[in-house]
Amino acid sequence: MKSKWGNNFKGYVRIEIIGQESSSFINTCIQSGIQIWDIKPIDGDRVHVSISVPDVQRAKAILKQNKLKIRIKEKKGTPFLLKKMWKRNGFMLGMVSFIFILFLLSNMIWNINVIGANPKTEYELRKAALEIGVKKGKFIFLLPNVREVQRQLTEKMGNVTWIGVTQYGTSYRFEVVEKEIPKEKLITGPRHLVATKQAVIHSLFVEKGQPVVTVNDYVRKGTLLVSGYIGKEKKPELVSAKGEIFGEVWYETRVEIPLNTSFQTYTGKFENRHYVSLFGLDIPIYGFSDGEFQDKTETLNESPLYLAKWKLPVSYIKKEIRETDGVKRSYTKAEAIEVGKKMAKKELLKKLPEDAKIKGEKVWQQKVSNGKVKLTMLYKVIENIASEQPIPIQQGE
Amino acid sequence: MGKLRQQVSKWMMQNLELPADVVMDLPRITMIGQLHIYIENHRGVKAFSNEQLKLKLKHGTLVISGREFVIKTILPEEILLEGTISSVDFEND
Repeated sequence: MKSKWGNNFKGYVRIEIIGQESSSFINTCIQSGIQIWDIKPIDGDRVHVSISVPDVQRAKAILKQNKLKIRIKEKKGTPFLLKKMWKRNGFMLGMVSFIFILFLLSNMIWNINVIGANPKTEYELRKAALEIGVKKGKFIFLLPNVREVQRQLTEKMGNVTWIGVTQYGTSYRFEVVEKEIPKEKLITGPRHLVATKQAVIHSLFVEKGQPVVTVNDYVRKGTLLVSGYIGKEKKPELVSAKGEIFGEVWYETRVEIPLNTSFQTYTGKFENRHYVSLFGLDIPIYGFSDGEFQDKTETLNESPLYLAKWKLPVSYIKKEIRETDGVKRSYTKAEAIEVGKKMAKKELLKKLPEDAKIKGEKVWQQKVSNGKVKLTMLYKVIENIASEQPIPIQQGE
Repeated sequence: MGKLRQQVSKWMMQNLELPADVVMDLPRITMIGQLHIYIENHRGVKAFSNEQLKLKLKHGTLVISGREFVIKTILPEEILLEGTISSVDFEND
């Protein structure tokens, strides 16, 4: 009974023994160490017996001695099954290649959709994607992952604010948000120019219209700067006022600089490890050292394989281990103030329009508390403060 | 001589509490309902058919009768028989 699996594996035959003296055959078999099993009498002179393939020749000799006839009824076990399967190898080959082709096809890109782009951008995007390798018929597992594709595409496309890359099975979808470049207003109606913020007028360049303020005047938000009415008092003419009015504006910026900061940097040393994940079990295939780094960060990149729409339990995982270094930075108070000033300026410049200039800066307040330096900075900025205000046309005058 | 040995072994069995099948070379028969019968210490098959199995023992013959017999396993000293067993007889010749 124990060797049943063994017999199945090695293969055995079921033979029919014809003759009267089958019991003596059984005895001789046992004595000479031939294993036989499942002995089943059919009728008076026929018995079915199972015997392993290597023993058949010896059994035949014994049968001859006992003057019994033998007939092979069935061949069982793996070797015979394999033989049978080999005979139908075309069929097997078809099955295997079908699964293989299905596997390949379901890991291919079939479709690339671009959403939200005008034809020009779409064309450029498709070209950029082609350069990365995203095109129809490419194998998905050979491509960088979606995040990477998104990053590369966003870098390549200058006139696009954002590209969202999503992968739905065998198709890629690019969602594009285009930069909106505002069109200049060409036709302007009659208008005034008014101040956008509280300021002291620094200089005026008026192309059209009647300036109402002069240099060093103090204006509030909404104060009329350039009037759209020109000409004589009695017969005013409406024009579209145009010009640039620069004013001195004060900005206040607050920054906090911690005196001690610790942060992590990469040292540049790294190790890659490759795994094949089978049913959630990660089997390392290449790269076996963890790099023996003291501090490290690990990133996992998993690329799953698909069969039709099903995710296979097999996937390829790349693990990147990068050495990190903890760096401590500490400032003296003077240094912190210096850094704070720079930061404040940077922050301010982000908010300002391009044509603005910083005229002067002043430390308004500085305070050290809880290991932090708190700075309040004041900046004097020269910027265009003019904004258009249409003049409602009064009818029936 | 044989008789003396038999007596000695019988005495050993009774007084030393050794299992009888080991001491006296007797068959050990295990049955599971009517389905299986497992015989150790046999001396070969005398006759085998659908309804009857005759086994040689050291002394005499064991006759198992029933229906639809199949010898599942047979080894030099062991045999496992399957079928519907109706009787087990000892024949002393």
